[in-house]
Amino acid sequence: MRAPHLLMVVAIAGGAALLALLIDNDYYLRILFMMGVYYLCAAGMNVLVGYAGQKSLGQAGLFAAGAYTAALLTTSFDLNPWLALGAAAIAAGACGVLIAWPSLRVRGPYLAMVTLAFGIVVEKLVSEWTEVFGGADGIYGIKSLAIFGTPFGMLQWVWFVIALGVVTHLLLRNLLSGRFGRAFLSLQADEIAAESVGVSVYKYKILAFVIAAVTCGVAGAIVAQQNQYLNSDFISFNLSIFILLLVLFGGAGNQYGPLVGAILLTLIDAQLAKWPSIQHFVYGALLLFSLYLMPNGVAGLIKQLLGSRGHTPSVRSKSKSVVAANFETASDSRHPLLDVDTVSKHFGGVRPAQDVSFRLQWGHVHALIGPNGAGKSTMINMITGVLTPTAGRITFVGQNIGGAESHVICRLGIGRTFQNLRLFAGLSVLENVLLGQHCRMKNGFWASLFALPSSIREEAAAQERAWAILDVVGLTDLAMSAAGSLPYGLQRRVELARALATEPKLLLLDEPAAGLNPQETAELGKLIVKISKLGITILMVEHHMDLVMSISDHVVVLDYGIKIAEGTPSIIQADKRVIEAYLGAEAA
Amino acid sequence: MLIALLQAIVSGLAVGSAYALIALGFSITFTTTKTLNFSHGDFVSVGAFIGVSILWLLLGKPINSPLSGVSIANWQHLAAALGSVIVIGCLGILLYFLAVRPFAGKPGMSWVMSTIGFGIILTSLGLAVWGPSQVVVPSPVGDDVIRIAGIGIRPQEILMFVVAVIIMVAIDLTMRRTMVGKAMRAVAHDRRVASLMGINVTAFMVGAFFLSSALAGLSGALIAPIASASLYVGLGIALKGFSGAIVGGLSNPRGCVLGGFALGVLESLVNLWQAQWREIVVFLLVILVLALRPHGLLGQHTVEKV
Repeated sequence: MRAPHLLMVVAIAGGAALLALLIDNDYYLRILFMMGVYYLCAAGMNVLVGYAGQKSLGQAGLFAAGAYTAALLTTSFDLNPWLALGAAAIAAGACGVLIAWPSLRVRGPYLAMVTLAFGIVVEKLVSEWTEVFGGADGIYGIKSLAIFGTPFGMLQWVWFVIALGVVTHLLLRNLLSGRFGRAFLSLQADEIAAESVGVSVYKYKILAFVIAAVTCGVAGAIVAQQNQYLNSDFISFNLSIFILLLVLFGGAGNQYGPLVGAILLTLIDAQLAKWPSIQHFVYGALLLFSLYLMPNGVAGLIKQLLGSRGHTPSVRSKSKSVVAANFETASDSRHPLLDVDTVSKHFGGVRPAQDVSFRLQWGHVHALIGPNGAGKSTMINMITGVLTPTAGRITFVGQNIGGAESHVICRLGIGRTFQNLRLFAGLSVLENVLLGQHCRMKNGFWASLFALPSSIREEAAAQERAWAILDVVGLTDLAMSAAGSLPYGLQRRVELARALATEPKLLLLDEPAAGLNPQETAELGKLIVKISKLGITILMVEHHMDLVMSISDHVVVLDYGIKIAEGTPSIIQADKRVIEAYLGAEAA
Repeated sequence: MLIALLQAIVSGLAVGSAYALIALGFSITFTTTKTLNFSHGDFVSVGAFIGVSILWLLLGKPINSPLSGVSIANWQHLAAALGSVIVIGCLGILLYFLAVRPFAGKPGMSWVMSTIGFGIILTSLGLAVWGPSQVVVPSPVGDDVIRIAGIGIRPQEILMFVVAVIIMVAIDLTMRRTMVGKAMRAVAHDRRVASLMGINVTAFMVGAFFLSSALAGLSGALIAPIASASLYVGLGIALKGFSGAIVGGLSNPRGCVLGGFALGVLESLVNLWQAQWREIVVFLLVILVLALRPHGLLGQHTVEKV
């Protein structure tokens, strides 16, 4: 796939560059230039909106950050324009961190409001703080980029944005096609599940905002340097909306969406510039109806019309290496695997855990049972960092994990499934399992961005392991189906596969048999035993007593947040308090 | 100094009552449908113009003719205000069916974009009809400034404050004391369960958008005599109303109202110090509040069950 794609990109870019050479008209060259500029904005914005699923209504603020940095540095400080362009990218990136910071705590409409407010603050700042930003009068004499001392002409500018666009496209493609792209998509699908497979939601949200900020800032700087003039009229709410529209109209989450959006909207914009009132009307109509008629944008529509299913099964690994090789969890005899020590949790007056203590042994199958409302899921959630214990210590292989973040706990070696399935429904089964591998992959941001050999190697290794795990749970034939489209029982297995892919020492299963029929339950039992034989310790919360009693080595019983018994299944079955808890006390 | 401070607080409360009406409108749609109308500001502007247009119609004058100095009967003012409430309310219903219903409850928050789009269309239509210029609107209670202990108040400011407070108390009582209010809160809590209890959920959602938009129309009609009718006046008011709602907590209608008033006063106080920093301070405050209390000062924190 790589070589033809590269050829196609070179052909398109070369065609555009040649076209620019043939055009002898500054007006048309300018349209080409603006296409390039808007493509840059949209390409980064696509990472934020289309992949990470965060709406930003304040991109004009980031555009301004880049534009004014370049403008001020080349005028007031007489800096080299190339250095100023670099500085603009950094300044915009810093502003990206600034808006991302509240996004770590707020979601949905609140986040839209924060970004909107940021855009307005910047707009007001540049238009009203005239001593620094020149307001509506603007800043003159911004230095154009130059080569060998000659400032760029319009043709060079067009070539420059084309080159920049190609580089941006290729880099983002590298980044999004592997580990990072999947992590962004997981944020959009389900943040809690993303944390549970080791994706740091905070880190990836900030990263997405910074990527969008940097491309927007560079675009702003280029516009300022090309015009050699900048005033506050350019920075408006309309620009923020336009940048968002580029992505949504073009096709969010589609690699080619930003390009399609930039080309079409720049053309529409140029055509309608003569009639401003109609222009706004058209934008309004596009915003209102395009999402309705083409939820995946123009690029999505084209894809649909061409009928390409997008996913062709990628090369299956030849060697189905035995999955056991991945799970050599050397047991560390100095520490118990998990030590829950007098842990309590209070929600106001509700106390789903009161001084609960138990230990898990390496290699055993443990079960946590109890009537409804006994605090079993609360316990699982505290062990995996979704909830913080009110009191007590949870120690995993000698390390205190009480209150640690979920993604850290996942990395330490605790995998989990959820009581109410939390799959990344829109992603394929294979991608779900690959996300499980996220925390075990070592390729960092730069390696992925430049597709360094280490990153390609990691991706290949992860693919191989994912296929091996799919083989263990018997899902190889469905690897390319969307996880959300599978029947319930299979979805449960996908979630199990995803948890296994995190290569856990301890696997927590929260009601794995819920909703399964007797046959499926029996198969699940066999699967759990199989997993246990790979050397993974299991703690499951379950109501199916047949399953619990037949496969567990050790059972802990909770009732109203208090541990009332623990021991082997036979001891539990004979325990008076357990029988009372389930069946009620005999009338005395 | 004290007089200036009091003056700022009084004018802040007056303009704050417009913000509070807007904030309450946001809260109503958010609690029932989990969506917001991002074109609320355009509704406010258009609401002001609908009011003025009704005056022109009743007085038999052409569009965009000056109204200052013309004698307008009280019933004509009342008709104008009612007209803009009803027209904008109906516009809210249109908005619900066109821009909100197709996207509500689905992931991706597409309704943010579609409601913005609706507003942009509305404004460009408004520009075609009324043009970009400001229209001075006479107040039904006269334009002579009343002086109390050295503080100047415009009668329209008092009127706006009183009307807003009455409306808000009425809505609050309806929400808390009547079956309709209970049903509305049930829809907000869980629309599926509410529907199973025999509540017509769609009717309540349509009603929520009608009410919320009607409030926008009302605040447009009320603020026009103070700020003049202009198609650009709404965005700022709505953004601050929105900020008030966010600061107070979208899920709590009372919090939203208080947030609206608080924001009006704050803005007015900052204005006393540095007029051009007004917006910047207000929005920075919003970002700060959200960073510290993500659900607003009085909003409820909902825990997702895992």
